[in-house]
Amino acid sequence: MLEGLLGFAAVLVLVLLRVPIAFAMGFVGMIGFMIESGYRASISMTARLIIDTSQDYGLSVVPLFILMGLFVNKAGISRELYAASNAFLGHFRGGLAMATIVACGGFAAISGSSLATAATMSKVAMPEMRRFGYADKLSTASIAAGGTLGILIPPSVILVIYGLLTETSIGKLFVAGIIPGLLGVVLYLVAVQFTVWRDPEAGPAGERINLSGRLSALKDVWAVLLLFFLVIGGLYGVFDVPPINLSFSPTEAAGMGAMGAFLIALARRRLSLADALEALRETAMTAASLFAVLIGAWIFSNFVNIAGLPTALSDMVTAYNLPPWMVMGLILLIYIALGCVFESLSMLLLTVPIFFPVVTGLGYDPIWFGIIVVVVTEISLITPPVGLNVFVLRAVVGDVPTATIFKGVTPFWMVDIIRLIILLTLPGLVLLLPNQM
Amino acid sequence: LSAETVLKISSWLPPTHSVNTGIFANLITMMEEATGGEVSGELVFGLAPPPAQMDLVLDGAADMAIIFHGYQPGRFVGTKLIELPGYEGNAEDASVAYWRVYEKYLAALNEHRGVKVISLNTHGPGQIHSSKEVSSLADMNGLKTRIGGGVAGDVGSALGLIGINVPAPKVYETLESGAADAVAMNVGERVGFKLNEVAKYLYDMPGGLYRGSFAVIMSQEKFDSLPEDVQKALDEQVFGEPASRMAGASWDESDTIAYEATKNAEGTKITPASDDDIAKFEEISKEVTDKVLAELQEAGVDAKAAYEMVKQEMAGN
Amino acid sequence: MSRLLKFAASLPALLASFALFVLMVMTFCDVVLRSVFNAPIEVAADMTRLLMAIMVFSVLPVVSAKDGHICVDLTDGMFKRAGLTRWRNAFTDLFCGLMLVLPAMRVFDLAERSRSYGDVMEYLRLPLHYVGWFISIVTAITAAVLIIRGLGHIFAPKLMSPRHA
Ligand code: NA
Ligand code: NA
Repeated sequence: MLEGLLGFAAVLVLVLLRVPIAFAMGFVGMIGFMIESGYRASISMTARLIIDTSQDYGLSVVPLFILMGLFVNKAGISRELYAASNAFLGHFRGGLAMATIVACGGFAAISGSSLATAATMSKVAMPEMRRFGYADKLSTASIAAGGTLGILIPPSVILVIYGLLTETSIGKLFVAGIIPGLLGVVLYLVAVQFTVWRDPEAGPAGERINLSGRLSALKDVWAVLLLFFLVIGGLYGVFDVPPINLSFSPTEAAGMGAMGAFLIALARRRLSLADALEALRETAMTAASLFAVLIGAWIFSNFVNIAGLPTALSDMVTAYNLPPWMVMGLILLIYIALGCVFESLSMLLLTVPIFFPVVTGLGYDPIWFGIIVVVVTEISLITPPVGLNVFVLRAVVGDVPTATIFKGVTPFWMVDIIRLIILLTLPGLVLLLPNQM
Repeated sequence: LSAETVLKISSWLPPTHSVNTGIFANLITMMEEATGGEVSGELVFGLAPPPAQMDLVLDGAADMAIIFHGYQPGRFVGTKLIELPGYEGNAEDASVAYWRVYEKYLAALNEHRGVKVISLNTHGPGQIHSSKEVSSLADMNGLKTRIGGGVAGDVGSALGLIGINVPAPKVYETLESGAADAVAMNVGERVGFKLNEVAKYLYDMPGGLYRGSFAVIMSQEKFDSLPEDVQKALDEQVFGEPASRMAGASWDESDTIAYEATKNAEGTKITPASDDDIAKFEEISKEVTDKVLAELQEAGVDAKAAYEMVKQEMAGN
Repeated sequence: MSRLLKFAASLPALLASFALFVLMVMTFCDVVLRSVFNAPIEVAADMTRLLMAIMVFSVLPVVSAKDGHICVDLTDGMFKRAGLTRWRNAFTDLFCGLMLVLPAMRVFDLAERSRSYGDVMEYLRLPLHYVGWFISIVTAITAAVLIIRGLGHIFAPKLMSPRHA
């Protein structure tokens, strides 16, 4: 148990020295495993994980969902989504920020990653909000927070990895994310309203658009609806009817979605060869850095595992005979604390193997826990000091200090906590849709 | 009361799987009893995927592991002998026969070189579990089925099954989404893979369409480091035939539990093969057997004699 | 000459892009062929594994050369104020590069072992040690790239482009 905790501390130190997360976890895991099992065993385990992780069939969804988001972006869909939301919401106070949230939710329905959602929407929504004199703290915060929806509203790379780690149905996890994701949209709208209520100057109203303008904006979003329907409908088996009998597994849904986005972009003549190559190259680079983190995290979790941390924790829970809700509360506090400093994927990889057996042992539903984990992961993306979505915004926008974004984002993670409490008390909201499958 | 040596047993199967709760749990008890508590074991889960298990043992990351031979195509040929259809008897009979034929014929192939083989076993007969009703062999023609390679794959193509090649953890989602109609597995797996939810129909061929081959392996180095009397006690009382028999019996037990669970589950149906189908399957069985025996012969085994020995052993058990 | 070099430098990313594109098209075709014609691509799962390995590992050196790994840049300001950025960069690059050396060699050993056992892919029948060799070589190149970067920070700081966040 002590070795495991020391390992955590060592990873933290290395990460703060700006050692890439993959290497920090891999190194500590390798050394720790070496102390437990010897030199040859440790290097060999590391080498095997390098070989096997890159060839994991289930992980093929990761690059394919990223690719789908990029093709969609090239097709100009993100711009149209924003225009459509804006046509309906822009004339309210804080309306452009609200439109950003809704467009983020829409983009989340075709993008598997929160960082991609935030990065994409910042390119589209930020210039508009600046044009209308929105305060930087509100405009950047609404994108950073809205972007987090990317991993809750399906498809979601994080849910895929949770499903792989825990052998839980990815299809059910995806479907379970829909209601909590919509709840997130609504609560973020409340957070925008809260911000403009405190500071009316932060979000002046935009221009009102008439009905015909609204309708024409709306008809541009067909591509999003089509892709979402293709991916999620496929999971529900909607197309498995004669004469097409089209059916695909969640793993294959990523390939179908990417191909669909590719074809839509082609059909709209928005995709040049250079664009396509750029999307493919960017996906490969992102996937390679994600896979590096996965390998590092797996090496580290093997060390934690063999050092007996999960067993020690389970034993502790049994020994103190704590009521389940209290254990769950403690776990969530640990998540929120870790989430302040850890990157979302590494946090998931570090903690799920440890907490999952404890949680399911207490009788909690694995699908429900997956959604709860994703919600706390979303929170981690916008809480200081390490909030990756905030960093993405700073990188894309350039001239807004990180501190300003963190300040603006505070009401957003506060409503996230409210959402967390709602989902904890009403698990039915999560389980309603997957139980229909 | 603490043991001198606690062997690290790597397992890639979920903690609740009968390999862990049955085979490994029993093996630990057997080792403790044989050595007066000097040697014990503890399970470590999820260290590496199935094909990496032998490397883990070879390099000392684990002291013991179970391997499924079908996950390493090209490496194991001799082990196909026990995967053949047409043997009569349960997993315990097959596992005992397996160990005996291994000692006499297969060990010479040295396919497990570098590690110590301490148990050979097969799961219960492999059957077809489907989401739409399969009531005869003819219904299998064109059925999209997740089926392994090797002998199972050969039988599958002879039956006209359309192979859907996905890893085992993807079985549930593949069936649920309709990307496959059926899966070929031993009946015991119905519980762990929740097949009573997604594959309500079980077509039951006596003796099965194939059997899966497993070995429990141990680090030779670790074994050599044990005191001589302990080595002797393990070799005589645990490893080899006793551990193989125990493992086979454990697979049988998981089958019994799963048959019971299937009968009690809602909307499930077990269809026993008709006499006609049994006769038809014998022909397929013979074709596949001839092909595999030729492979074994080429690898350097007296294939015919080895095959006859398994048949006889299983009939005599 | 520099044009040729530039082209050579873009080859790994091109290879990765190609692998990813094939993976996408193949998944699509597999689903359609299976659903409509009841004729799935038998080698699809093997191909998926192979294409993923090609995609991930051909760009790994590029990601490393461009400082594209996921990092926490929380302390950047501190290091900058202390004037230690260059030394910090030298440390992290050398650290990562050196750390990869032993695993890269071990991957090669495991590939050789796999060759001695005759391991192949189930349906493609492709010997697995080819994949192992590829991964090993690329991991070694990645290690070399990182070590060269680290040395660059120490001995030729002017040559090193400023890091991007
Ligand atoms: Na999403
Ligand atoms: Na955070």
